[in-house]
Amino acid sequence: MIRFVTDLIGVVLISSSMFVFASSVLGIYRFRYVLNRMHSAALCETLGMMLLVSGLTFLLGISWHSAKMILIVVFLWMASPVASHLIARAEVLTHAHITDELEVVDDERHI
Amino acid sequence: MINNNWVSLFLMLCCIFLGLTALASLVRAIKGPRFTDRLMAGNMIGTMVIAMMCILSVYQNQSFLIDVALVYALLSILSVVVLARLVIIRRYGQLEREMKTPVLEDRRIQK
Repeated sequence: MIRFVTDLIGVVLISSSMFVFASSVLGIYRFRYVLNRMHSAALCETLGMMLLVSGLTFLLGISWHSAKMILIVVFLWMASPVASHLIARAEVLTHAHITDELEVVDDERHI
Repeated sequence: MINNNWVSLFLMLCCIFLGLTALASLVRAIKGPRFTDRLMAGNMIGTMVIAMMCILSVYQNQSFLIDVALVYALLSILSVVVLARLVIIRRYGQLEREMKTPVLEDRRIQK
């Protein structure tokens, strides 16, 4: 009985992570520009992976196996902002008319 | 293999769904108007492959697949960081040749 309850909680958490992945894929088609699309791309590797790993931990129980999955999530949370920052910096540096795409424009261009 | 029948069926359906979302991200990587779109979509595909590896390791109850997922997370983040840094450094060199002043020292460039 207790096994059924933990399995049910895990399945619900994995289903919500699948919803987050689907909305993230929808977001990269609905948004218009790269700097907007990166918002929904970051959604799938923070919230989606967290919900997925917590659901899989409910299915497995506490073990080294689930501890390594939590380690993957911790690493992704530390490394994903770095990658997003570098992609945004490359976009801002190489776009010729970046001020046409932005709503708030600074007077001086910081590089 | 996990012993519950409906949970393993659900995990397999989740793997199929993640494959479909990775395919949709690949379409964005092909269509993307700028190269940062392609970088971002490649990063998303890497995240979805990591999620599929986590699900597969729970489905087959094999603990070594999670080590493969950990190394894959390291390598996918590293590839994005290296590509973005390459573009940024080449753009800095181009700006230096255009303006004939070292860019990296004063860090502020008038428009």
